[in-house]
Amino acid sequence: MDELTIAMPKGRIFEEAYELLLKAGYDLPKEIDDSRKLIVEAPNERIRFILAKPMDVPVYVEHGVADVGIAGKDVLLELDRSVHELLDLGISRCYIATAGLPNTEMNAVTPRIATKYPKIASRFYRGKGEQVEIIELNGSIELAPMIGLADRIVDIVSTGKTLKENGLVEYEEIVDITSRLIANPVSYRLKQERIRELVGKLREQVRT
Amino acid sequence: MAIQMFEKPLGMRDDFPFIAKKKSALRSKGTAIMEQAGYDMLQTPTLEYYETIGKISAIPDNALFKLLDSQGETLVLRPDMTSPIARVAASKLLKEKMPVRLGYYSNVFRAQKREGGRPAEFEQMGVELIGDDSLYADAEVIILASTILKELNVESGRVVIGNTQLLHLILQDFGLDSGQIEAIREALVSKNNVGFDELADYMDMDPAKTGAFKKLMATSSLEDWRPYIDSANAQQTALYEDMLKLEQIIARNGLSEAITYDLSFISHMTYYTGLVFEFYGAGSGFPLGNGGRYDGLMQQFGMQVGATGFGLRIDRLLEAATGSAEDDRHTLILFDEQSEEQAHQEAQELRAQGARATLQYGPAVRDTKSFCALFSEVRNLGGALNG
Repeated sequence: MDELTIAMPKGRIFEEAYELLLKAGYDLPKEIDDSRKLIVEAPNERIRFILAKPMDVPVYVEHGVADVGIAGKDVLLELDRSVHELLDLGISRCYIATAGLPNTEMNAVTPRIATKYPKIASRFYRGKGEQVEIIELNGSIELAPMIGLADRIVDIVSTGKTLKENGLVEYEEIVDITSRLIANPVSYRLKQERIRELVGKLREQVRT
Repeated sequence: MAIQMFEKPLGMRDDFPFIAKKKSALRSKGTAIMEQAGYDMLQTPTLEYYETIGKISAIPDNALFKLLDSQGETLVLRPDMTSPIARVAASKLLKEKMPVRLGYYSNVFRAQKREGGRPAEFEQMGVELIGDDSLYADAEVIILASTILKELNVESGRVVIGNTQLLHLILQDFGLDSGQIEAIREALVSKNNVGFDELADYMDMDPAKTGAFKKLMATSSLEDWRPYIDSANAQQTALYEDMLKLEQIIARNGLSEAITYDLSFISHMTYYTGLVFEFYGAGSGFPLGNGGRYDGLMQQFGMQVGATGFGLRIDRLLEAATGSAEDDRHTLILFDEQSEEQAHQEAQELRAQGARATLQYGPAVRDTKSFCALFSEVRNLGGALNG
């Protein structure tokens, strides 16, 4: 049996994805401390987990150091790496939307958009035929309209609570996001059996 | 920021001696196999016209290195080898010798937006078999490429084969219009199963067919293809018959274990019109090479002939080829004024036996100890050593 290396995003998605693998019948260590360890072995299944930053998962998979990985569609849209998107896992459901202060219009001359997702934001506004300036931030995007850095933000919305707490309202929904199982194109061919088995088992869990 | 002295343009690499050595071994092995199979090696210019090769090459415009010549014409650094060779083959000289078998080992240039596993200049070796539209030509190039991979000791080498023309006919049978086929094509090129399934649900197809349609991406043998073939359609059955014949030829050459027949496999290179294939091997996270039938490309050069070929990427072969144990014996002969004549004699003897010998004037070496460590044998013919 070929060894399978799976790149997993640290944090929220990890727990949901790991749960899904356990439910799918994989014999994995029950408790794992994902706070410090970067590599976790599951010798019974000949699986090795790499714990990475969510944005880095497609990079590991593209280069083939991880055979498969779990990544949010937001990350896939933003990074545009050549990986195979095999399955919609239906977990960590949320969406990307534009938001801003209530009852405001965008600046007519140089509307400014703050976001962690410059490519997605740029694609969206271009698609609408609007020319905007994108300001890339790394977190706490909600600050930008509050202190006058940007007219709108483009960000992930899961419950809308963060927006509300900061006095922002949602304007347009851009795209629905869930986590996806992705594969390296070469591993997909060379470890076909194992990857197909994984897709099959996970698909059953996703359906139920 | 000012460019530092050691920097190179994005995606450009230096080949240090140990890489250069490995490459030249790959090159001589590969070209020997191609020549034995009757292919003549050729070289085309590094610069081509943007209007011709640049546009025909199917490489996105923003990946082309462009420059202007003194007449103001736009030139490109050749982004692929297939189109220049098609140009050469369409010339009068070779026209009368069809089918022609041409091989190459050349560098090509593709501008990159980011670094890391994506060189902007890399070498390719491959062949083009022009003027033969039979399946035997396709079989020949697939077998040839597989032979090269095997000879280079690529582990778990695998070939995935698809058929663009047959796939197109089958997609039409599902009642899809050209816009929908284009959307499906995009999902298939990027192997986006999720997007593909979504499209299938959205395209209000006959519900009885949706199930089969979604399984398209899971086909891995010609047997899996059979349910999609409309037996009343002469063109489909003929193409499928050809695939079966191809499979037999490949099996007779002992390669069937290493082949996947994936009906949904298509290439991002849009000039492929029939059979398409891609090569993989353990050790590289990227495909080792690809190829296919490109009759349409020949038409652009004004010729109605069939053509097929493959290209293998040397940078990726370097990662995947395990290589054989090489003779790395290398003798260093250190000499001084007195022993100079003897040193030359000894070096000549060694070289005559096919061994490697380096002559070095001893006193010129600053740190003799670490210098000597680079060689498998050291003969000190003179005096005190430094370091």
